Amino acid sequence: MASADSRRVADGGGAGGTFQPYLDTLRQELQQTDPTLLSVVVAVLAVLLTLVFWKLIRSRRSSQRAVLLVGLCDSGKTLLFVRLLTGLYRDTQTSITDSCAVYRVNNNRGNSLTLIDLPGHESLRLQFLERFKSSARAIVFVVDSAAFQREVKDVAEFLYQVLIDSMGLKNTPSFLIACNKQDIAMAKSAKLIQQQLEKELNTLRVTRSAAPSTLDSSSTAPAQLGKKGKEFEFSQLPLKVEFLECSAKGGRGDVGSADIQDLEKWLAKIA
Amino acid sequence: MLDFFTIFSKGGLVLWCFQGVSDSCTGPVNALIRSVLLQERGGNNSFTHEALTLKYKLDNQFELVFVVGFQKILTLTYVDKLIDDVHRLFRDKYRTEIQQQSALSLLNGTFDFQNDFLRLLREAEESSKIRAPTTMKKFEDSEKAKKPVRSMIETRGEKPKEKAKNSKKKGAKKEGSDGPLATSKPVPAEKSGLPVGPENGVELSKEELIRRKREEFIQKHGRGMEKSNKSTKSDAPKEKGKKAPRVWELGGCANKEVLDYSTPTTNGTPEAALSEDINLIRGTGSGGQLQDLDCSSSDDEGAAQNSTKPSATKGTLGGMFGMLKGLVGSKSLSREDMESVLDKMRDHLIAKNVAADIAVQLCESVANKLEGKVMGTFSTVTSTVKQALQESLVQILQPQRRVDMLRDIMDAQRRQRPYVVTFCGVNGVGKSTNLAKISFWLLENGFSVLIAACDTFRAGAVEQLRTHTRRLSALHPPEKHGGRTMVQLFEKGYGKDAAGIAMEAIAFARNQGFDVVLVDTAGRMQDNAPLMTALAKLITVNTPDLVLFVGEALVGNEAVDQLVKFNRALADHSMAQTPRLIDGIVLTKFDTIDDKVGAAISMTYITSKPIVFVGTGQTYCDLRSLNAKAVVAALMKA
Repeated sequence: MASADSRRVADGGGAGGTFQPYLDTLRQELQQTDPTLLSVVVAVLAVLLTLVFWKLIRSRRSSQRAVLLVGLCDSGKTLLFVRLLTGLYRDTQTSITDSCAVYRVNNNRGNSLTLIDLPGHESLRLQFLERFKSSARAIVFVVDSAAFQREVKDVAEFLYQVLIDSMGLKNTPSFLIACNKQDIAMAKSAKLIQQQLEKELNTLRVTRSAAPSTLDSSSTAPAQLGKKGKEFEFSQLPLKVEFLECSAKGGRGDVGSADIQDLEKWLAKIA
Repeated sequence: MLDFFTIFSKGGLVLWCFQGVSDSCTGPVNALIRSVLLQERGGNNSFTHEALTLKYKLDNQFELVFVVGFQKILTLTYVDKLIDDVHRLFRDKYRTEIQQQSALSLLNGTFDFQNDFLRLLREAEESSKIRAPTTMKKFEDSEKAKKPVRSMIETRGEKPKEKAKNSKKKGAKKEGSDGPLATSKPVPAEKSGLPVGPENGVELSKEELIRRKREEFIQKHGRGMEKSNKSTKSDAPKEKGKKAPRVWELGGCANKEVLDYSTPTTNGTPEAALSEDINLIRGTGSGGQLQDLDCSSSDDEGAAQNSTKPSATKGTLGGMFGMLKGLVGSKSLSREDMESVLDKMRDHLIAKNVAADIAVQLCESVANKLEGKVMGTFSTVTSTVKQALQESLVQILQPQRRVDMLRDIMDAQRRQRPYVVTFCGVNGVGKSTNLAKISFWLLENGFSVLIAACDTFRAGAVEQLRTHTRRLSALHPPEKHGGRTMVQLFEKGYGKDAAGIAMEAIAFARNQGFDVVLVDTAGRMQDNAPLMTALAKLITVNTPDLVLFVGEALVGNEAVDQLVKFNRALADHSMAQTPRLIDGIVLTKFDTIDDKVGAAISMTYITSKPIVFVGTGQTYCDLRSLNAKAVVAALMKA
């Protein structure tokens, strides 16, 4: 009886002794793993940060290489886009979305630009202009010279909007007004178009400033176009505005080549 | 028969064009683009332009549009199938060119599709012709009539089968029932001889005879059981004694059966040598029926198996591809993916006071634009649909034409005539109040205004305008403008003809040198036909420069009805070829709706006209213009 009791006491002591080393090992393991986990987390965060930073740098570098083709519907933007890229004639329809392509410039440095053809429909043009204007190196405003007399108010209104947006950018883009469709007999010359646009924009400054303010109260004061108190001229603008004549269709219908040499030279100059 | 079929990219490049007639297809297609695709009315794929009907199909993955045009008077049933076939073949054939989604690849690619298109057109026309004779309903009716007859026969056959089986089991155990069977048999034989007529009648009568026999058979079986239970011992010697005469009688009956049922006997002849007479009778009927049922059941089982196997295979393949696409990250949007998101968007728009019909059409148009589009790696269905809807709403609210009142007034000044603006709308929307606000705005910009009181019905209308005129004159007295009267009221009291008063007012303004004439009309409900006729007359006679519809921002579904009927009244009662419709919208009481700005979407969508002014209160300065982005932001705010 006494020997049995002594055995029981010995067993109890053994069980208590075996538990303690396990606990010690667990504590040691936990202490060992914590620094490695922390280091892994720090490494992953560092990688993510570098990726984000690299993306930001890349996006900044890639901007400011775009040439936007803007204008009213049916002014010939899409055909001009096609001619600049391939030199061929293609039938076109009213654009629903933008078209992008890389344009190889004909100069000694061998630079390239990104041509972007934007839709000219009233519903779409302001949205697309808002989307692409920050990356614009140059803006080509295409005017239908044949229908200009009838559309002068619409052309002036859109031109007013584009000029206001262009002046608001940090890097002011170059600006060209391309008087397209010069192959048609009724087409107006670039000089006449410039005079008419200056007169119309002078009137538009007055009406735009007098328009009722918009619903959102956070809008800033609208920018002044040209000098106050003077007749409007394009030379008063901080960005340089040039006029040139061109014809995307050419003189002999589909077979003829386009008359866009001046436009190509201008693009080579700004590249 | 087709006028043209054209395929072009959304960027405007025509890839391929088929000309059935010499006219150019650019005009109608451009009209389709401007009226349907850019106005978010893409729920219906049919569009009418002058004498043409155009049908189109959008490929949102490669951003292509397929358009077919034909004369309106023709009813070509194969056009939809033709568009689908051409779409499938074109994208399969030129997948490499159009897959890059680059303008250069589209420009450099040559799309020679003439032969393929002509082949598909010929096939479609022939298939439409072949289908014509199949419309004969008589054949279908006869086939359908036959089917229920067969099914009825099969249903009758099933029950007797079970009864026959039961009778078999009973007969095998008890032999004492031979006597009553022999006595009952000559009676049905006589009955079978009586009916003489068409085959159907014969078949029916035979079936009836079979049923009667079986019923009698079952009844006698019941009686036989009772007898056998009571006296088992006495039956045995009786059977031995009766063997010789029974055999003779049964033999005769067997001969009769052979004559009556030729087909069962062929099945039963081998059994005759093996089993007793009772087994012969039972086995013959059940055997034939079993064979028929086996054939029909096997057909059904085969069909079921065929249907189950392909569905299983399709499911597995779809699941695998779906997983792979999910891993790769370039998922293609389908209608099912967008269904739940679009339902939420539609309910959200209706909660923001957009008319229900217009909300449905908008979501349908957005679904058509997004179906088949390839999503980016990190974009979800909800964000894609929401962004597309937002762009569509901004597109709708952008004005279709330029409405610059000040510029147009300057033009009218140069031409030595007054600029006429007519205000129309339903009762109580604030026409006179907003007319006064616009007068104040014009006066502030240096234009003189004549207010024509053409509301000759409502009590106090002239007095209200007189009060406004007095206050505006106090703000802009003639002394400040070089002795020139800047604002004046032209009124002829009540109960007069509104069109006449407007005409006199315009003449008065021209003589006195006013710059603008604002014509106030009486409010009227869109369903009041005489008043709508009077409004149409006023506008037709006076040909104003601008017709403004005044609607309040609180209106919901009623906006659609109001604008549709106002425009219809102006169109129906106009004598001109191009009727004068509503030119712009004045949205009033905008300060009362907080962010439920859906009425702006409803009105602009229905008319395609811009919202020229927004009234936000009751003072003269509470006049604003609409900012599309701010309104859409308020709409999409959850």
